[in-house]
Amino acid sequence: MRHYEVMVIVDPDLEEQKVTPTLDTYLNVIRTSGGTIEKLDIWGRRRLAFEINKKSEGTYAVIDLHATPEAVAELNRQMRLNESIMRTKVLRPEMH
Amino acid sequence: MAKAPPIRKPKKKANPLDKEGITYVDYKDTALLRKFISDRGKIRARRVTGVSAQQQRQIARAIKNAREMALLPYTATTR
Repeated sequence: MRHYEVMVIVDPDLEEQKVTPTLDTYLNVIRTSGGTIEKLDIWGRRRLAFEINKKSEGTYAVIDLHATPEAVAELNRQMRLNESIMRTKVLRPEMH
Repeated sequence: MAKAPPIRKPKKKANPLDKEGITYVDYKDTALLRKFISDRGKIRARRVTGVSAQQQRQIARAIKNAREMALLPYTATTR
């Protein structure tokens, strides 16, 4: 098990109440593989420093979790397939 | 007699990271990282920032991570 920090930019057109349930469905990948979610922090809508997919805003979310590398790779792959998720970043804070 | 060329004494700058007691440069802390980029969005040189070489690398990596997530600009086109 490793500690990961996942940051996601969700499409601003998706209502903010729907962001948590949407991300939660993806996090089941972690739970079923024996990982744990430490924290799910929704920053809310924020202005982007530059446009992504012609959008100047995005809903930011940061997830702290402990999981196996395979589970996180699968989580990242599945999230990238969703069109309402504009960008993801997986980081191991201890490495930096 | 002509004056000798002035010898520049490099002023020792206070290390801004040590002063704030920061050990881990977080890419999410844009307020901190903005102190290390120019108004055009470029990463400031170590000569200017006055941090150690290790810290400069940590800052550069944090800024690049922040850029990928659109927290900081790659370029600021104010002109």
